[in-house]
Amino acid sequence: MTQGFLSKNPSVLWFLLVLGLFTLGVTVLSETAGVGLISTSFVKTLGKTLCLCLIAIAMDVVWGYCGILSLGHFAFFGIGGYAIGMWLMYARTEIIVIKSLNAAAIPPTPEEITDAVGQQIFGVVGSTDFPWLWAFSDSLFLQLLMVVLVPGLLALVFGWLAFRSRVTGVYLSILTQAMTLALALYLFQNDSGLRGNNGLSGLQNIPGFERTPQAVISLGFFWASALALALGYVLFAWVVSGKMGSVIRGIRDNESRVRFLGYHVETYKLFVFTLTAVISGIAGALYYPQAGIINPAEVAPIASIYLAVWVAIGGRGRLYGAVLGAAVVSLMSSWFTGGGAPNIPLGFYTIQWTDWWLVLLGFSFVAVTLFFPKGIGGLFDIIVRKGDQK
Amino acid sequence: MLRALFLAFALFLSMSGVQAQTQSPTEDLQTVLQRHAAEVANPGRLSVGALIADLVASRQPNVASFLERWQDKGVYQRTTDGLFFYAIRQGDAYALTNMTTGESAGTAPADVMTEIRPNGGVRRVIGAALVQFQLSDPDRARRVAALDAISRSPDADQIDPLRASIEGEPDPALKLRKERLAGHLRARFGKSTEDRIGAINELSSALDVETRSVLNLVLTTTSGVAPSVPEGTNVARILKVGTDINEAVAYNRLVDANLAPAPIPPAAVKAALTANITDGRVGGIPVGQLGNETNRSDAYDALATAGTVPPQVTPAIRTAALSSNVFYDAYTEPNPAVTDAARAALDEVEARVARYQIIDISMDALSLASIYFLAAIGLAITFGVMGVINMAHGEFIMMGAYTGYVVQLFIPDYTISLLVALPLAFAVTFGAGVAMERLVIRHLYHRPLETLLATFGISIALQQLAKNIFGTQARPLTSPSWLDGAWVINDVVQIANIRIAIFVLALIFLALILFVLKRTRLGLEVRSVTQNPGMAASMGINPDRINMLTFGLGSGIAGIAGVAIGLYAKVTSEMGSDYIVQSFMTVVVGGVGNVWGTLAGASLIGFLQKGIEFFNPSNTLAAQTYMILFIILFIQFRPKGIVALKGRAAGD
Amino acid sequence: MLHHNGMDYMISKLSLTALATTALVGLAGAASAQDCPIKIGVLHSLSGTMAISETTLKDTMLMLIAKQNEKGGVLGCQLEAVVKDPASDWPLFAEKARELISNDKVVVTFGSWTSSSRKAVLPILEELNALYFYPVQYEGEESSKNVFYTGAAPNQQAIPAVDYFLEELGVEKFALLGTDYVYPRTTNRILEAYLKDKGIAAEDIFVNYTPFGQSDWATIVSDVVALGADGKQVGVISTINGDANIGFYKELAAANVSADDIPVVAFSVGEEELSGLDTSNLVGHLAAWNYFMTADTPANAEFIKEWHAYIGDDKRVTNDPMEAHYIGFNMWVNAVTAAGTTDVDAVREAMWGQEFPNLTGSTAVMGTNHHLSKPVLIGEIRADGQFDIISQTEPVAGDAWTDYLPESAVLTSDWKELGCGMYNTQTETCVQMKSNY
Repeated sequence: MTQGFLSKNPSVLWFLLVLGLFTLGVTVLSETAGVGLISTSFVKTLGKTLCLCLIAIAMDVVWGYCGILSLGHFAFFGIGGYAIGMWLMYARTEIIVIKSLNAAAIPPTPEEITDAVGQQIFGVVGSTDFPWLWAFSDSLFLQLLMVVLVPGLLALVFGWLAFRSRVTGVYLSILTQAMTLALALYLFQNDSGLRGNNGLSGLQNIPGFERTPQAVISLGFFWASALALALGYVLFAWVVSGKMGSVIRGIRDNESRVRFLGYHVETYKLFVFTLTAVISGIAGALYYPQAGIINPAEVAPIASIYLAVWVAIGGRGRLYGAVLGAAVVSLMSSWFTGGGAPNIPLGFYTIQWTDWWLVLLGFSFVAVTLFFPKGIGGLFDIIVRKGDQK
Repeated sequence: MLRALFLAFALFLSMSGVQAQTQSPTEDLQTVLQRHAAEVANPGRLSVGALIADLVASRQPNVASFLERWQDKGVYQRTTDGLFFYAIRQGDAYALTNMTTGESAGTAPADVMTEIRPNGGVRRVIGAALVQFQLSDPDRARRVAALDAISRSPDADQIDPLRASIEGEPDPALKLRKERLAGHLRARFGKSTEDRIGAINELSSALDVETRSVLNLVLTTTSGVAPSVPEGTNVARILKVGTDINEAVAYNRLVDANLAPAPIPPAAVKAALTANITDGRVGGIPVGQLGNETNRSDAYDALATAGTVPPQVTPAIRTAALSSNVFYDAYTEPNPAVTDAARAALDEVEARVARYQIIDISMDALSLASIYFLAAIGLAITFGVMGVINMAHGEFIMMGAYTGYVVQLFIPDYTISLLVALPLAFAVTFGAGVAMERLVIRHLYHRPLETLLATFGISIALQQLAKNIFGTQARPLTSPSWLDGAWVINDVVQIANIRIAIFVLALIFLALILFVLKRTRLGLEVRSVTQNPGMAASMGINPDRINMLTFGLGSGIAGIAGVAIGLYAKVTSEMGSDYIVQSFMTVVVGGVGNVWGTLAGASLIGFLQKGIEFFNPSNTLAAQTYMILFIILFIQFRPKGIVALKGRAAGD
Repeated sequence: MLHHNGMDYMISKLSLTALATTALVGLAGAASAQDCPIKIGVLHSLSGTMAISETTLKDTMLMLIAKQNEKGGVLGCQLEAVVKDPASDWPLFAEKARELISNDKVVVTFGSWTSSSRKAVLPILEELNALYFYPVQYEGEESSKNVFYTGAAPNQQAIPAVDYFLEELGVEKFALLGTDYVYPRTTNRILEAYLKDKGIAAEDIFVNYTPFGQSDWATIVSDVVALGADGKQVGVISTINGDANIGFYKELAAANVSADDIPVVAFSVGEEELSGLDTSNLVGHLAAWNYFMTADTPANAEFIKEWHAYIGDDKRVTNDPMEAHYIGFNMWVNAVTAAGTTDVDAVREAMWGQEFPNLTGSTAVMGTNHHLSKPVLIGEIRADGQFDIISQTEPVAGDAWTDYLPESAVLTSDWKELGCGMYNTQTETCVQMKSNY
C-alpha cells in the first residue's frame, strides 16, 4: 500500500474521511459522552450495520469484481460469530461457576469447574459434557485464531473442489447455497455441540468487563467495527486495483479468455474466495457480541441471499456501493419493521408497514434489477457525469 | 397389575353363583351403581374392577348395554339427586332414559347433568368385561369390539369363551381373526406344554405386530447376577463384561444385588471431606490443597483408615467383584422347550419382517422421491430447459395450495373441490408465471444471475402478500375421504393413500411433460428455442411466445404440485421456501435440461435421505445434513449431474 | 450511568418512601407521580414460523389492555400497548426487547413463545432490570428475577401427563417425539429420568427429534407402531411444536393409529393448533394443559364472549397461553395497584403471593419462585377440535427446578426469602444471581 495506491484511488480517502467523521459524530452524540441523542440500542444497531457493510464489501469483491455469485458468505460470517461466542460463553460461565464453587468449604477441582461450566452451558440441550468443538474455548487467543482459520480453511477446501471441477455460474451459486444450508442444518441439531437451535447467547456480556455499562461496551464495539470496516475497505480497494484487479475483473467478464492468456484462473478465484471468507468471519466475530446472540437461523440460505440483494441495490463493482446498499437496506428494514414508519390510513384499509414493508422491499429489488442495474451507486455516476458535462 | 385384576375378577365370576343367592336377586342396575356412585362418576383403571365385578354379579339383563353406553360417554349423572341416566342432548336440555326400564324419564336442564367420561384406560377395562357378552353378539361391530378388547388385554380366561364362539362365527374374516387370537392365547396361556409349542409353531408364519408381541412376551427376560447361575434358571444368555455389558453398568448391578460395596461418587467424597474439616485440615491435608482429585482421594483414604467413612472402591476391588460373578439374562418362562420354540418362531418372523421392512423403506423413499419430483418438475422446465433461475418457484407452489384452500371454502364436497382445484391452480399459477415472464424475466435473459435476484424479490413479496391475505395460521386443505387411510399390504408394508396419489400424479406429469416436449409442435419449438434462439426465430418461430408459454407451463405445474403437497402436509405462506432449495438441488443433481435427469435426481435424493434415516433413525436433521454434503461432493465430481447432456445442447 | 443496577435500586427505594408519604396524602397524589400513559410492551412474533401461535397472544394482550382502559386504566392512567414484531428470529427478540425497554420506556413486557426467544431476551431484562411475563408451558430449569412464568413448569404439565399414562392408561413403553430445540430436549430429559425412577427400562423409551416444520412423518409413525412388537402398551409423548403437528396428526390418521391402541399426549397442541385440522380421526388422543376452552365456568364463558367480540369472529378458539396472559396481566394490574407505582422492584415484591381466579374454577397464586400454581387438566380430542376434560387436579405449585434430575434436585428458587433464583440447598449458597443464558 504505497502512496501511489491511495493517490490513484481518491475515493478510498473520501470513504475513510466520511467513516471517520461518522464515528466521531456517533461518539459525541452517544449516551457515554453524555449527550444521549443516540441511545445505546441505536449505537449497537449502527455498530452491527458497520459489520454488515464489511461483509457486503467482501461480497462485492467476490461477486461484483470476480463474478462469483456466492450465496453462502453468511456461513463464514456465522462461523466467525460462533468462534468468538464460544469463548465469550465459556469465560463468562467460568467466572460465575468459580465464584459459586468458591463459596464451598473445600476449593473446587479443575474437573468440578469444567463439569459445572458444561452443566450450565449445555443444560439447555439436555447434556452436560463438553463436545470436542469446545476444546480451545478457554483460550481467547485460540478462538480468535479460529475466527480467521475456520472460515478460511472451509472456503479454501470448498473453493478448491468447486473451482477445480470448473463449477461456474448459477451452479456455483446453488452449490454455495447448499454449503450454508448444510451448515445451518448441522447447527440446528442439538447434538451439534453448539447448543442447536438456541445458539449461543448473552454474548454482549464481555468477561472481565462485568462492571462496565453496556453504553460503554457498545461504543467500544462500534469503534472496533468502524476500524475493521476501514481496514477492510483499504485492503479490498488495494486487491481490486492494479494488475491483480484487472485479472479478477477479466475473470468476471470472460473467464476462458483470461485462462487462454495464461493466467491460472482457479488460483485467483480461490484467493478472492478465501480472502473474502476470512474477512466475513472477522465481520461476524464483531457483529455477534453486539447482537448478543447467534443461532443457526443466522446462517440459513436466506441471509446470504439478502447479502447479494444489498450489494445489488447498492451497486455492484464499486466498494462504496456495497457499503451504501448494506447500510440503507438494513437500517430501513429495522425502521419499518420496528414500527418507526407511520401507518397510512386509506379509509377502507390501513397500510401497516410491519405488514407491507417486505412487499415493498421485494418489489423494489425487482425495480432495481430491471431499471437500475448499477444500483444506488449508479446515481453517483449520473451526478458525476453531469458535473463533467458542465 | 392388569392380570391380577383379571384373576380377582375371574374368581369373582366363579363365586358369583353363591353371591347371587346371598344378595337380593331383584337388585336393579341403579342400586348397584349408586353403591359405587363415586367410582361410576369418576372411574379409574385400577379401581373400576370391583364395580364391574359387582355389576356382572348382579346378573341384570341390561348390564352389557349399560357398559357399552358408559364406554361411549352416553351416561350422565343428575347432580340434584345423584341418579344416573342415559341422556341425549336436545338444545339446552337433555332427554333422559331410565337405565333399568329403558323408558323415557323426562328431560332435565343442561346445567344439572354431568357427562361421565371414562378415560382410555377405563374404557379398555370395560371393553374386556364386555367380551363375554359380545363374542357371539349378532351385531358384527360388537364382535369386532370384543376381539379388539381381547387383543388389547389378553387373558387366560378368554381362551374358552373365544374358542366356543369360533364355531358359530358367520363372518369368514372374523372367524380367521378369532382363530388367530385363540392361537395367541394358547401360545401364552395354553394348558400343556405341547399345546403351547404347537400354537407357537403355528405363529412362525405370521408377520403382524400382535404375533410378534405374543412371542416376545413368551420370551420376556429379566437380568440377573449371582456368583453362579442358580439351579432351574432358564438362561437366555450369559453376558460378558466389557463386550455385552459395560463395566459401570455391571458393577451397579452387583451393588443392587448386594454383591459388592457401593462406589463413593465424587460429590459424596466432597461432602464427607466437608463434614470432617478439623482445624482447617482433612485427614492431615490442609483444606486449601483439596482443589485436586489426588489430594481429595488421599484425604478421604485417611478418613477411611480412621474409620470415619466407608472406604473407596478401588479398581482392584471392582475387578475382583466383576470377575467372581456371572451376569446373565433369564427367561421368566421356566420351560426351556417353550422358549426354544418361541425363539425359533420369532427369529423366523423377524427375518421376514426385516425383508418386508426394506420394501417398506423403499416405498417411503419412492414416495419422498415423488414429492421432490413433483416440487421440482416445474423448475426442471423453467431452470432446466430455459435456464431461468426462478426463486419464486416455491411461492408458485404456495399459490397453488392456497388456491386449493380457497376452492374448498366455496365447494364443500372435497372430491369435487379437488377436481376443480387442480385445473384452477394450474390456471392461476400459469397466469402468474406468464405475467412474471413478460414483466420481469424477459428483460433479464442475458443476465441469468440477476434473474435470481429479481425473482427472489418477487418471492419475498408474494410470501408477505400471502400472509397479509390469509394470515399466518396454517390453513386446512382436507383430502377427500377416499384419499384418507392407507394401502395395507401386510402388517409391515403399508403406505398412505395420499402418498400413492402423489406418486401417480408425479408419473402422470412425467408422461405429460415428456409427451409435450418430445411429441408436440410446442415441444419441438421449445427445444429449438432453447438450443438456438436466433436460428429458431429465423425458422418462423416466435421465441418470445415460446418462452412465455414454457415459463407458464413450468409455473402451472408448480401450482398443481402445491395442491398435492398441501393435501399431504400443510398450507402456510412459508411452505414454498421449504421446497425451493431442495428442488434446485434435485434439478442440479439430476442434470439440467432433462426431465429424466430430474427424475433421477429426485430418486437419488429420496432414497438417500430415507437410507440415511434408516441407519440413524432418531435424527432426521442429521440425515438432511449428510444428504446435502453428499450432494455438494457429488456435484464436485459430476458437475453436469447424473444425466448429462452431450454435444452442442450441453453448451453453457 | 455507572453501576446501573445499583442506581435503579436506589431510585426504587427513594420512590418507595416517596410513595409511602404520598399514599397518606391520597390517591390523586399517587396518580400524579405516575407518567401517563403507562406503556406496556408486547413482544410476540407476528411473522415467521412462530407467528401461527404468537399472533393470537398479541391480540389477547391488546384485548386485555383495552378492557382495562375501559375500567379506567391503572393508577388513574390509561395503558398504551407498544407492539413489536421480532419475526420468530431470536436475535431480533433481544434487539426489540432493548428498544422497548430503553427507547419506548415500557414498564412491563408480555412476550415470547419459544424458550429460545425467552433466553435471548433474558440478558437484556436482567441488565436493564425490566419486568417480563412469559405465558407458555416450558421446560423449567430457570428462575429469573425479572421474569414471571405464567405457563406451566414440567411438574404442572409433563409429569402429571406421564403419571396419567402410567396409572390410567397402563402405558409400559414410551415414544418421546419432539421438535429439536430446548423445550422438548429438556422436558424429555426430565421425563426420561422420571420414567426410569418409575421402573421403565431404558430400552422401553424411544426418543426422536425432528426439525421445525417437519412434514415427512411416515417413517417415524411406522417406527412407533412397530414399538408394540414386544407386547407392551405403547404411548406417545409429543413435544412436537408448531405447524409440524399438522403433518404428524395427518400421518397418524392415515396409519389408522387409534387412541385406544397407541395414545398420544401432546404438550404443545391446543385448540389453536387443531383448528387447522380435521380431527375426526384423532378423537381420543390427549393433550395436557392448565386450561381448555371447554372448561365449564362462568369466568371462562365471559372470557370467550369477550374474545369473540374483540376479534369479531365467533369461530376463533381460546387456549392455555391466552389464559396465562389473562392471569399474568390481571396479576400485574393488581400488583401495580397494590404497590401504587409501576416501578419494577416494587411491582415484583407486590407480585409475590398475588392471587387471581383462573378460568377453570380455582385460584392461581404467584409463588416467590416466580411460577404460578395452576391445576393440571388432561383432555381428549373431540371430533369438533375441542377437548373433553377427563382429569383435573387441584392447583399445583410450579417448580422452577425439577426434582427428577440429580443436579437440579438440590436447587431451589425463592426471590423473597433467599433473594436467589438458583439456590443450592446442599451447600446453602446462591449459585448465581443473574441467569446464565
